[in-house]
Amino acid sequence: MLKITNIHKSFGNNQILKGVDLEVNKGEVIVVLGPSGSGKTTMLRCINFLERADQGSIEFDDIKTDFRAAGQKTIRDIRKKSGFVFQNYNLFANKTALENVMEGLTVARGVPVKEAEERAKNALDRVGLKNRYDYYPSQLSGGQQQRVGIARAVALNPEVILFDEPTSALDPELVGEVLNVMKDLAKSGATMVVVTHEMDFARDVASKVIFMDKGVIVEEGTPEKIFTHPKEERTAQFLKRILKEDYRADQDSDFTEKDDSLLAKVFGGGSGKKAYNWGVC
Amino acid sequence: MEIESGFMWETFLVALSGIPVTLKLTFVTLLISTPPAFFMALGKLKEHKISSKVIGFYVSFVRGTPIVLQILFFYSLLPTVLNCFFKNILHSGYNVFAWNPIIYAYTVFSLNTIAVLSEVFRSALLTVNAGQLEAAMSIGETKFQAYTRIIIPQAMVAALPNVGNTTVSLLKNTSLAYMMTVKDITALAKIEAAIGYNYIEAYLVILMIYVLLCTVVQLIFSFAENVLSVYKKRLTKTADKRTNYILSRAAAVFAMLRAV
Ligand SMILES: Nc1ncnc2c1ncn2[C@@H]1O[C@H](COP(=O)(O)OP(=O)(O)O)[C@@H](O)[C@H]1O
Ligand SMILES: [Mg+2]
Repeated sequence: MLKITNIHKSFGNNQILKGVDLEVNKGEVIVVLGPSGSGKTTMLRCINFLERADQGSIEFDDIKTDFRAAGQKTIRDIRKKSGFVFQNYNLFANKTALENVMEGLTVARGVPVKEAEERAKNALDRVGLKNRYDYYPSQLSGGQQQRVGIARAVALNPEVILFDEPTSALDPELVGEVLNVMKDLAKSGATMVVVTHEMDFARDVASKVIFMDKGVIVEEGTPEKIFTHPKEERTAQFLKRILKEDYRADQDSDFTEKDDSLLAKVFGGGSGKKAYNWGVC
Repeated sequence: MEIESGFMWETFLVALSGIPVTLKLTFVTLLISTPPAFFMALGKLKEHKISSKVIGFYVSFVRGTPIVLQILFFYSLLPTVLNCFFKNILHSGYNVFAWNPIIYAYTVFSLNTIAVLSEVFRSALLTVNAGQLEAAMSIGETKFQAYTRIIIPQAMVAALPNVGNTTVSLLKNTSLAYMMTVKDITALAKIEAAIGYNYIEAYLVILMIYVLLCTVVQLIFSFAENVLSVYKKRLTKTADKRTNYILSRAAAVFAMLRAV
């Protein structure tokens, strides 16, 4: 459905993406992991042409183009097939929640107002904001704002939704409500590419996990494979570090570097919902 | 020295009749200046372009010279140049000196106001974060749609207080129009005063008129800002959007009453 080949992108002399390939099939939920600065955001932005890649090509259903050659019309066609959920929500501050969600329908797609309103309300209901149609972004909590952001993308029926660390700007107690909305979305069959550090989400929802570092994809596979048998040393170290932070935050315990059964502790059913028992790396 | 109250009243009435001219000078200038200032602001956003250099030069030139000097320059130079142009190049007998001097007043004040407003609009546009532009593009809007629907409406609200300040200082500057024989508040009061050398009284009177006018302008702008920026206000726990809106209007009306 969506296939990106050999993306390169530099900012000045700084090469950020060094030939990334990505294939997304219908219904897949791809979670992208990687240390900060590894180019995850840049990759998503290139797919949506918010950043113009220096090299590479994109194939999206029947649209096939080189990143550099794509004209405004092609770019807009690709954008209309994909939704983007931003780290900082980026809601339109001068519009209510409902207007935020309607905007892409009425203005960009010419859907009649009546129908657009109905679809927008549906989308807001889906993310649990039935009572917030007429609120402005400044009157909503971060979690609610991000849910409007998700509704804004979902209402357009995109073939794929790109999420860029959708929960990392949120207070910890608001993360759950957004992740739940995303999990529901995944269950309903939406195709998603999610950059996140939420390991529970990756474990429960991802059909594929990609690990990126320094502008390349180091490793990819099922969550089980990546989390329990990472082939690359870089992947293993990254996971260890993230999981340790998670574990520390959760347990407030003081365990040590040497704790080799770390992954088992975190993934061995510790957080409840699903009793995975994947063993140790 | 004695203040003649009878004369003051007379001058007051005469000066009042100058208010329409002063307001016309102010608001026609604003109308003329807003579109070019706006496009200059957009042009200046692209830092690297030549246009932004040219605009920057214009702005610093106009803002770096006294307005009185600009008036002297335009009012004495422009008619002569135009006259030369009509006579020697077009060979027509058109009489430039018959023009209403208010045209020169509009020219000078607009040149200044454009410079000031272009800066006001530019910084207002910068207050809207680029993320909203990207979000608009990501849902399939064109750049034009994103600007007209998302960025510019917010920038205009952000600009309101500064546009208000600009209007007030423009209103005060229009008092210099008397130098170009435009009969505004100041000119009329001066003429009235010259008859019996009652300058102090005349100046006192127009001082009050200007204070009043400026206050009203300021109130109008802060009222407009209050109404238009509902979307920026946080809700209190219990109040819903509508009560909040009504409260904000009531507060503005109250502030206005108190000030008057
Ligand atoms: N517009 C830009 N100009 C210059 N450098 C940028 C720009 N955007 C991103 N970068 C740089 O690219 C690198 C990768 O950024 P990013 O894709 O955001 O990584 P990640 O999302 O994985 O943390 C960072 O070092 C960042 O400083
Ligand atoms: Mg990022």
